[in-house]
Amino acid sequence: MTSSDSPAIELIGLTKIFGEVKAVDALSLVVPRGTTLGLIGPNGAGKSTTIRTLMGLSTVSYGTVRVLGLDPAVDAPQIKSRVGYVPETHLMYRWMRIQDVIWFAKSFYPTWNDKLCRDLINLFGLAPRQKIKQLSKGTLAKVSLLLAIAHEPELLILDEPMSGLDPLAREEILDGVLRTTGERQCSVLFSSHSLGDVQRMADNVAMLYEGKLLLHCPVDELLTSAKRVRAVLRDGCVPVWRPPEAIWQCVERREWQLTLHPCSEQLLARLQTEFPVDNVEVTDLSLEDLFKDYVKGRRKLA
Amino acid sequence: MKIDPHSHVPIFLQIVETVRAAIAAGVYRPGESLPAQRTLAMTLGVNPNTVQKAFDELERRELVESRRGVGMFVTDRGTVSARDNTLETVAESFRRGIITARDANFTRERTRDAFEKTFRQEFSKTREPR
Repeated sequence: MTSSDSPAIELIGLTKIFGEVKAVDALSLVVPRGTTLGLIGPNGAGKSTTIRTLMGLSTVSYGTVRVLGLDPAVDAPQIKSRVGYVPETHLMYRWMRIQDVIWFAKSFYPTWNDKLCRDLINLFGLAPRQKIKQLSKGTLAKVSLLLAIAHEPELLILDEPMSGLDPLAREEILDGVLRTTGERQCSVLFSSHSLGDVQRMADNVAMLYEGKLLLHCPVDELLTSAKRVRAVLRDGCVPVWRPPEAIWQCVERREWQLTLHPCSEQLLARLQTEFPVDNVEVTDLSLEDLFKDYVKGRRKLA
Repeated sequence: MKIDPHSHVPIFLQIVETVRAAIAAGVYRPGESLPAQRTLAMTLGVNPNTVQKAFDELERRELVESRRGVGMFVTDRGTVSARDNTLETVAESFRRGIITARDANFTRERTRDAFEKTFRQEFSKTREPR
């Protein structure tokens, strides 16, 4: 058995190669126990591949993966019994009723909690006699989440749990996840395109781009330390260098815009002394804007 | 209580501000408890760690104090401190307006005129608070 002080997830130099393509490229990341990590990145950034590796569903080309201190290549069955997993597409026998699927799943988990299961059925407003093939996308997502959390996992892994759901179903899924983290100190890793959800659920955010880790920090730290700067350049002047903190910049006519992370008073002072600019204006950015700037900044460099 | 998950203001600070305003308004009086961390996390639909972070900040500002195993309670001076904090918030909004004017090369006089014009407009449409 592993000690409970090993991190929930630990990746060291994880690399996954499909043919010529590095889907995941030397990814190192730690998810401490009791924390929630939101994994973001454009389509094809390597989020799903990383998640599948954690569950032992995809092999590793190079690097080390540890889930609750265990190696998915060796201990996949033990990981499955201690981790709740909601895949991108929900795999359930279509001819079964909800109650059959629950009974079926329950047989795999010694830690299955019947009371919690009943609570979740009520919370999600599920009708146990309904057949899987008759369920809407939202209800299917709720059943999938129920199966992942009713056995009281130590770690919950969700691959885009709320994509394509209506606002009400989203809220219910979110409630289910928050209930698990709140009452049981469960660690969570989820991927998402909804940055509002990331801000609500996650302690830390990790951004992937073309298999590489662009950013990994607390959500609050990111929102307070990243700034958009808009300066007016004097006639005939162009910025001669780009500060290393600039994740994105754009010059149009006399307007020079930069997104700086981290931004500091010293950096702003330096910009104003070394560049011929007037009217420097500093504004805050939403997670959405920051994400776009990071990705656009990367594309420009490439 | 409502939070905006798309805002550039970190959620824990949004919670701090909402609770502070509620204390200033007398929703929670000195000696009374705030809602429990988990209850609040569920109501707002946010991570419980985020609520804890907000509670820590409110405690640092001496608006509330934690009693071990019981929860967070408004301090004796909580209401007064929360109202003092309101002054800071108001001053901060004014400061931003002044910076905007300065960036557009407004003179002191023109900035003051702009303030007074806005002031008169706002007070003519809302009734004076008690």
